[in-house]
Amino acid sequence: MMENIEVNMGDLVVTKNQDKLTTSAVGSCLVITLYDLKFKIGALAHTMLTDRRVSHLKRDALDATSSSARTREGGNERRHEIRDMKYVDAAIDEMIKKMVTQGANKENLEAKLVGGANMFPALKSDIGKENVLAAKKKLKEEGIRLVGESVGGSQGRSVEFSVASGIVTVKIKF
Amino acid sequence: MEKLQEINNKAALNASGALSKLIDRPVKMNITMADVRKVEELSPVIGPEEIVAGVYLPVTGEITGAALLIFPKESSFNLSDLLVRREPGTTRKLTGLDKSALKELGNIVCGSYLTVFSNALQVKIIGHVPSFSFDMFGAIVSQIITEFVQKSEKALVVEIEIIFELKALKGYFLLLFELPQFNAILRSLDSV
Repeated sequence: MMENIEVNMGDLVVTKNQDKLTTSAVGSCLVITLYDLKFKIGALAHTMLTDRRVSHLKRDALDATSSSARTREGGNERRHEIRDMKYVDAAIDEMIKKMVTQGANKENLEAKLVGGANMFPALKSDIGKENVLAAKKKLKEEGIRLVGESVGGSQGRSVEFSVASGIVTVKIKF
Repeated sequence: MEKLQEINNKAALNASGALSKLIDRPVKMNITMADVRKVEELSPVIGPEEIVAGVYLPVTGEITGAALLIFPKESSFNLSDLLVRREPGTTRKLTGLDKSALKELGNIVCGSYLTVFSNALQVKIIGHVPSFSFDMFGAIVSQIITEFVQKSEKALVVEIEIIFELKALKGYFLLLFELPQFNAILRSLDSV
């Protein structure tokens, strides 16, 4: 049965059903979709930041909210590598891992990118641009083809990813 | 939070005076609600895909954060009529002049609030040059959150109403600060 699954900011969903993955009002955030056309497995991540961009102070604040950032071992709190899906790199790793678990072949994967805008053009903000660059770099490292993009500019975008067809539809408001 | 009420009253009065001067007609600004909320909880008030006019001022000084003034699309059209002296109900698209007038209005409203807020709490807060965006609410607000703070940050949400010629136009003023600073502000609002 087909479902419409809304993916929240900082989250990702992998599915092999005939689902539609949607996410709305993407500004400087970056939506990354990965698709295995042969096995009809799709993933959509709504990322916010590259971790390189985050200062130590901000990263500490971000980590404090992430349950996956710390684990207790033998009574000592030990910091682990951040595996938080709001980060571009971590989200791509996680998408590949989950897709392969569900039966996808990494070599089949194709990527599309949507978002990375700067909603306030007068403001010198590079968050969006850096998200796009980080994703392209990571995809290249992983050997995943980038087959489509709607990035940059100063417009918000809403995204719908049909996992049955692999088609990604981008809506802007005017 | 009596202190917050006092801040709101003073800020509304200041902004009313400044707006009347800008527009050269009697304009009143009321503050109808002020509350501390999670930013996501704003969405029931304004849907993420709803088109809004947003004026954003980075805030620095002893505390860092962001001030964001939001008007729903229709309100921003009505305000443009007033600001650039068009026949009421005629603005259907924002021109460069409208955007710059709305930016100035945002500057006045945010500036009035920040000045009163800063005096009441005796902390130095500086509002910087405003920027303007006319797009989806979710896209605008998420960039500000990403820029300054973490996800699910709390914000001081102030609902405003600009009243002129029997019209009352609703808008929202959001103040976001980094979390430890925000908690300190809440404590001082309670204690003063």
